[in-house]
Amino acid sequence: RVAMSIMQYNGSAVLAMKGKNCVGIASDLCFGVQGRMITTNFRKTFRMQEKLYLGLTGLATDVQTLHERLEFRLNMYKLREGREIKPSTFASVISNVLYAHRFGPYFVEPVVAGLDDTNTPFICGMDLIGAPVTPPDFVCAGSNTEALFGTCETMYRPDMEPEELFEVLSQCLLASIDRDALAGWGAVVTIITPEGSFTRTLKGRQD
Amino acid sequence: QNQIGQADISMSRKYDRRTTTFTPEGRLMQIEYALEFINKRVPTVGILTKDGVILGAQKQQKSKLLEVEKHSEKMYAIDDHIVLSASGFTSDANILIDYARKAGQEHYLTFKEPLPVEQLVQLLCDRKHYYTQFGSSRPIGVSFFYAGYDRYLGFQLYCSDPSGNYSGWKAHCIGSNNVNGKSMLKDEYKEDMNLEEGTKLTLKVLCKTLDTTNPKAEEFEIVRLTLDEGIPKISTLDEKEVKDYLEKA
Repeated sequence: RVAMSIMQYNGSAVLAMKGKNCVGIASDLCFGVQGRMITTNFRKTFRMQEKLYLGLTGLATDVQTLHERLEFRLNMYKLREGREIKPSTFASVISNVLYAHRFGPYFVEPVVAGLDDTNTPFICGMDLIGAPVTPPDFVCAGSNTEALFGTCETMYRPDMEPEELFEVLSQCLLASIDRDALAGWGAVVTIITPEGSFTRTLKGRQD
Repeated sequence: QNQIGQADISMSRKYDRRTTTFTPEGRLMQIEYALEFINKRVPTVGILTKDGVILGAQKQQKSKLLEVEKHSEKMYAIDDHIVLSASGFTSDANILIDYARKAGQEHYLTFKEPLPVEQLVQLLCDRKHYYTQFGSSRPIGVSFFYAGYDRYLGFQLYCSDPSGNYSGWKAHCIGSNNVNGKSMLKDEYKEDMNLEEGTKLTLKVLCKTLDTTNPKAEEFEIVRLTLDEGIPKISTLDEKEVKDYLEKA
């Protein structure tokens, strides 16, 4: 039995990157409990709209619950407004939900990636109480963000085309989760472009 | 029976100030007055077919100065599998529509399954009924048509009124001239109708209940709930499609 931060109880890794008129978001596939792997098909990225994806790292139960609650909010928004939500607006909704639980938070660190209604790429990361950050390049979250930041800083370059972005995103994530004992067992990568999106599953080190 | 005899009027009027009082004949006048209001509203038709449910209404002609509305004033999607048509006070309807939408999401949050149609009908009817039994509020002056699909009962059509009562229908008509509409439905509705025939009949009935003899496509609003590869889909007919159906009807 190991004493661990609650954010490392279930391992996870999520990464989002901006490309040229496209964005990518990726996560590992492991669901484990304090290092003991339970399943290897636990995605942490969720399709909210055709061009809007949400990534959630942290405590797995909160990942699932927050995803469900945000889907609720998103559906109500679509019904009331009669249109889809913009990624930046969605990020504000998440920030609002998280801060509402300031003194009893959801143990998650969300990542938002999408294209807005003018197909401009948008990425955003947040801490567990909703403080957002919108960098121009990439966003990392998970149980080993140091490794993720390292690989991204080195390998990222701006204005990558979709296939290039896919390659860089995949390699950055795979290299980082190999350094993380709690995350891994493969990865799933989604690239969103104005014409549509594609998702590919990667087989990494199976440990 | 909407007929009120001479003697009845003076008697009923003594007991009609509040929803919470019966008349000596056993009637709740506030609810009946609310129903009268809806009977004067724009005609609405609902038809259940084996491959979908159709809701049709007249789009009321309004002032040219009014801004073009982005959302329909009559047809409201509640979730992916239920659509409502509202007749009566739009403001009353708006509150119930929002309540219905939240109820749909809350059910899905708990059960990970779409809200069954009849349960939604009962939730809204219970709300409407509350205002007929408690406090000093007036009844909610809205009748709804509910068109929905769930995996338990398939395609369904319901209609509720301000009293909070509802029924399941194969075909029904409310609003002005609904008597003519209902008699036409009784004659021409067939249980094994398909979506095409149902849509034609909807427009035929709407033309009959309208005051004009020269129907124009932009006067009608037709919404259909169907299954697209097993997934419920709500679609609105555009003006050209309505025109095509009008010619065939």
